[in-house]
Amino acid sequence: MKHVLIIGSGISGMVCALRCAEHGIQVTLVSHVPSERSQSVMAAGGINAVLPDDETGDSIASHVEDTLKGGCGLGGKKAVEGLCTYGGEILQWLERIGTVFSVDDKGRPLSRAFGGQSHKRTYYCGASTGKQIVSALVMETRRFESAGLIRRRLWCCFHSALIKDGACYGAILFDEARRRLEAVYADAVVIATGGQNALFGKTTGSTQCDGYAAGKLFMQGAELKNLEFIQYHPTTMETPQKRMLISEAARGEGGRLFYRRNGRNIYFMEDKYGSGGNLMTRDVVSREIDALDEKIYLDISFLGKSVIDDRLPEIRDLCARYGGIDVTREPIPVQPSVHFFMGGLAVHLNHETNIRSLFAIGECASMYHGANRLGGNSLLAAIYSGNVAADEIAGRNDGGLHPDFRSALEHESKLLTRNMNTQSTYPVMYMRDMLAETMRTRLGIVRSEDNLKTGLTDIDFYLSIAERICYDSSVMPYFNYSLTAILTLARATMICAMARQESRGAHWRSDFPKTDEAYGSASIIAYDGGNYSVRLDKERRYES
Amino acid sequence: MRVKVLRQQSLISAPYWETFEYDGPADNSVAGVLDYINYHDDIINAEGRKTTRIGWECSCLQGVCGACAVVINGTPALACETFVRDLKGRDMEIRPLRKFPVIHDLKVDRSSIHENLKQADVYIGEYQPTQDGNHAHQYAAAKCLKCGLCLEVCPNYVNGRTFFGAAFANDCYLVASRNRTKGGRARAVYAEHFGKTCSKSLSCMEVCPMKIPTLASMAKMNRKGK
Repeated sequence: MKHVLIIGSGISGMVCALRCAEHGIQVTLVSHVPSERSQSVMAAGGINAVLPDDETGDSIASHVEDTLKGGCGLGGKKAVEGLCTYGGEILQWLERIGTVFSVDDKGRPLSRAFGGQSHKRTYYCGASTGKQIVSALVMETRRFESAGLIRRRLWCCFHSALIKDGACYGAILFDEARRRLEAVYADAVVIATGGQNALFGKTTGSTQCDGYAAGKLFMQGAELKNLEFIQYHPTTMETPQKRMLISEAARGEGGRLFYRRNGRNIYFMEDKYGSGGNLMTRDVVSREIDALDEKIYLDISFLGKSVIDDRLPEIRDLCARYGGIDVTREPIPVQPSVHFFMGGLAVHLNHETNIRSLFAIGECASMYHGANRLGGNSLLAAIYSGNVAADEIAGRNDGGLHPDFRSALEHESKLLTRNMNTQSTYPVMYMRDMLAETMRTRLGIVRSEDNLKTGLTDIDFYLSIAERICYDSSVMPYFNYSLTAILTLARATMICAMARQESRGAHWRSDFPKTDEAYGSASIIAYDGGNYSVRLDKERRYES
Repeated sequence: MRVKVLRQQSLISAPYWETFEYDGPADNSVAGVLDYINYHDDIINAEGRKTTRIGWECSCLQGVCGACAVVINGTPALACETFVRDLKGRDMEIRPLRKFPVIHDLKVDRSSIHENLKQADVYIGEYQPTQDGNHAHQYAAAKCLKCGLCLEVCPNYVNGRTFFGAAFANDCYLVASRNRTKGGRARAVYAEHFGKTCSKSLSCMEVCPMKIPTLASMAKMNRKGK
């Protein structure tokens, strides 16, 4: 029986596991924490789809057009067509497995308007769409676990992939309970580890998503794509530990952005872009806020208590709990924050990387969103990509025999044991925090050559330390061994941002403020023994 | 403020109390307090001795993942949504959930919640709604974090071997209400692993971070033939 190893058990990982199991494939689903702790539960606003019985005049072609336009020409057309074509089917499947969508009095799922979209096609479950989908998927996964087709491995972290001659045969995992490395062989490995939040420290996302898998695989030969495109969500609320996302659902329901001057509220987005100004794409709104030296507010109080209680209860509770704000009476102070990574592991249409039998899905893969992601498309892409990878794996006849990686495992185990017995006086968390500070200040909403060069110099310094410091034994070994790959990923991101000498979508250069069609292709970066080489994918190799 | 933490280095080692001085912001959450204590070169306890970082679990830091469930001043709660300003008294006492095996300090292994649901085959399968479905109730039940707070406070839940607690009951309700063909089976496992043992203290509802109306789930599941 075929065996697939899936790293990450959020929405994308679970969907891939389910589809593989439906194909009769044995799945090992690895994650350090249960699915309920994954970042997927934080997805709030909704999922985009055009239903077959749509009566609003919406169409798949229109969804494709909006997505490509939002991505500023860098989202692959073929891939986006596939994504949007299956939106309706995916929504119906989610309903079928029991997801509790918000529904009208006839039981039909409700949709709301989201930024940059020509139609109201974002279907939702209150403002906890991700959580409701995770709950349904956990139940469905449980069904196949009982049947013995899906096996969960908790308390395990990814260490490295078993790669030889351009093909992947499994992965080395770190078992936290036994505190040792273990090789797991598989016919295919699927990476579903989410975005690279740790690069920026305080973001809207989970502390569990750190980009290590992408960074490590990059060092092992996997190519990365479009790393410079990082989405700053325009409406987040500052708290001591993190940036709380105020979902785009708030603006989708009519919320208005403003600042105060001389006792008057200035609705700057409406003044500049007209009545739909508050729902411009996230990159545009974030840049407008960044350009203003003003305290920005989001007002939903005028919607009234009953609308807020009915459609936005999670936003009401979040603001009350963490900001002491009663959103039915007062506006929410907001500012942009890192929210989503359009870039990640470069994958072909079938979600395979440049390494055979190594796949990537969900946010850690770069495929559909180009230079800027539309709200509601991430949940859709997470599910669609999981299905695509599973179908590809099921359709293959290869697998079975694998090279002997025992000496590689022994080597890595010796190295880890030696390091685990050391004692650093310099906590690894400090290194992560210094990196986050560099990334936030040098790779912000608006970038420049000088800033990026300084950032690169800083990261080179951190890398030179990371290579030499001992382990901090009072945190999990994972935090120690992951440091170099995370810094390497950060360095690659900085290099991609320097190489793209234009402004497009979420990548805005003050020294190159115009879009240059010479850069109208995805950027690809490769790593070879410490050398980083970046190129534009002009021949669109990853769009096939 | 003095912060007393019940610590345990591994699954098999003995637990012990250790106290720390906290002089950070008063508007911090308990999760923020743990981060604050941990974020120093050397971790020094209240007796001035060097010690190790406190192990604890977090993911979302906004009350939607359930990772940071602990017991704070005797009350089971999420560390990320319990604030220093709201605590009574000058000291804070944090201990891990005692109904689960301790992995390290405040980190516990709650996989028995999932394993029990798996063992009892609790899953929806296919959406076939009942005629009297209450959408708001189903939405609330599906928000269960599987954090274990309801089990920690429950007087009937001991080790999860026979009585599976409120998290199990609410998932059974969700299955019965989302798939009418599975109502009978869901009620049978509900009765076996929850209904016949629950003494209805309803303490589970008081500590639930998602405010799941477990009593309403029980009312639905106890109704025969529906």
